[in-house]
Amino acid sequence: MSLNFTTIEGKSRGYNTLLAILIVLSVAGFVSFMVSYIEGHQLLGSNNLIPWGMPIVVAIYLIGLSAGSLILSSLTYVFGKEEYRPISRVAVFLAIVLIFGAMVGIGLDLGRPEKTWRLFMFFMLNNMRSMFAINTILYGGYFVIGLVYLGSIFAGRSKMTKMMGMIAIGWAALVHMGTGAIFGFVAARPIFYSPLKPFEFLAAAMVSGLALLMIAIVVVFKYTKREYDQKIIFSLSRLLFALIVGLVVIVLIDKLTHVYPPDREATIWLFTGPYAWVFWGLQVGCAYLVPLVLLTHPRYSKSLKGVLAAAILVVIGIFGERFALVIPGTAYPLPFYPGKIEGIWGATGTFPITFVETLMSLGIFTLMGLFFILGLKYMELLPVTETKEENPRPA
Amino acid sequence: MPRWGMVIDLDKCVGCQACSVACKEENNVPHGSPEEQQWKREIYWHKVIAATNGRYPQVSTQVIPMPCMHCDHAPCVTVCPARATYRREDGIVIQNYRRCLGCKYCMVACPYGARSFNYKEQEEEEYHHPDLPPDRSVWGPWPYPTRTHGVVEKCTFCFHRIDKGLKEGKKIGKDVVPACVEACPANARAFGDLDDTGSEVARLLSTRRPIRLREELDTKCKVYYLLK
Repeated sequence: MSLNFTTIEGKSRGYNTLLAILIVLSVAGFVSFMVSYIEGHQLLGSNNLIPWGMPIVVAIYLIGLSAGSLILSSLTYVFGKEEYRPISRVAVFLAIVLIFGAMVGIGLDLGRPEKTWRLFMFFMLNNMRSMFAINTILYGGYFVIGLVYLGSIFAGRSKMTKMMGMIAIGWAALVHMGTGAIFGFVAARPIFYSPLKPFEFLAAAMVSGLALLMIAIVVVFKYTKREYDQKIIFSLSRLLFALIVGLVVIVLIDKLTHVYPPDREATIWLFTGPYAWVFWGLQVGCAYLVPLVLLTHPRYSKSLKGVLAAAILVVIGIFGERFALVIPGTAYPLPFYPGKIEGIWGATGTFPITFVETLMSLGIFTLMGLFFILGLKYMELLPVTETKEENPRPA
Repeated sequence: MPRWGMVIDLDKCVGCQACSVACKEENNVPHGSPEEQQWKREIYWHKVIAATNGRYPQVSTQVIPMPCMHCDHAPCVTVCPARATYRREDGIVIQNYRRCLGCKYCMVACPYGARSFNYKEQEEEEYHHPDLPPDRSVWGPWPYPTRTHGVVEKCTFCFHRIDKGLKEGKKIGKDVVPACVEACPANARAFGDLDDTGSEVARLLSTRRPIRLREELDTKCKVYYLLK
């Protein structure tokens, strides 16, 4: 099956409006970053008890989406599933854009981002025992591998593409497991500390990446008035169901080990405290239960709208899962000494949502959106439509 | 090579917080505002916590002064990607502000909450400094590096005092001690070489059974407590 790919024209009014909105929001995000860089992190919500804030939530969420998206692109190029070929280029490109957004997110949360170069002085200036330093290799390599992968697809070298695809799958899995290890190996925070965290992150990455890819396919193909086989979506939805079940099993085991002693207070506080709505509502409800119901429902699982709704809920819900890990994971006070610790040292942390931080986080998303629609315009990512009436307007 | 450590006698501690104040003075730690304290953004190198057990009328509150524990197996040293925090030969865990890129991983990893982040550009305060001659032009800059916002900082066991004392041939633990030890009105704290059997800390550790905080994490920290 030969399939030709093309660019979108990108001259319609809708495209230009979208471009303008994304540019404005990205600039606003950059300005708010500069303000926080000059004024200090007092403008953000983090504090000494909750050191990591919204940019880290966004970053690990995007790494997950990226790794999931890249792994799924390999269905065509490595496993030879031809029915996914129309979407495979978009998937690789999306993965590169998302990992870029994740790197921006990590940069935004650094106190002195101008010193990031130190992280890349491997074995000289950085500490290779740190999970964070190891992840620098993983993220950097992932970015390069993604670019080479996309390049070999464009060059039409199928053998090299297959090889790069295989490397990319393994590397993407490593990237996300490494990200999980950043959290999972910290013994001081009971909610983080678990050998299952790398696997939980990997499963969440696959789930959210697949859901995002499904949304991207439907939206892009619909707004650019392209034909595609809806069977793709329904076969992906079965995969999504299986992956969610896997994720639920891992999360269940992880949380159960945490509610058995020792150090169960923090996890019980997560279940019942002020962040319970994030955990039960977004993580459990939005990411697991409702999509599982939708994907098994006799009617909704057969309709495009039902499947799409499940995918959207998963993408929102996995963001909640990230939030429920990073923010409440550190918000519970450390048990320095047996007994109730009085005063501020025993108080749980609060994380105010601030204007600057929200704008910064939004800016990451709009910057990625900008790159994505520019990529659609200047790179041959979408398959050629059979009906030649062109009125392109991507999302 | 010595291995500096501290012993705090909780039986003698009355919770006056002189140690916390002395630490702020000695190391020019910003004093912060009530709002910053409420938001947990004030910088503390040394804190005093109170842990309550039981219910009225059968209740006891234990006051525990907490500097950085200077762990031999410090989680912060393991996780720091930029080698900004490292363990010196003499066991002091120290933070280099010039290398710190503010990723805050150490704050997440520290089981004792010993680390604080600079949320804003801090003002330089002129504290009373009994070690130094009154005219600042004689001795130049402060003995510690100046901070910027966006870096993490922590207790240093007053390494500047120790280094200066060693150079002058003074006895560490007797003539030269960290500011918190010096300020304690009840003599509840002792500082010295844990490996030296003749030191005051070694003597105290042998008299009563010492404990360390959160020993289950196996951080091998060098601040010991003597219980009531």
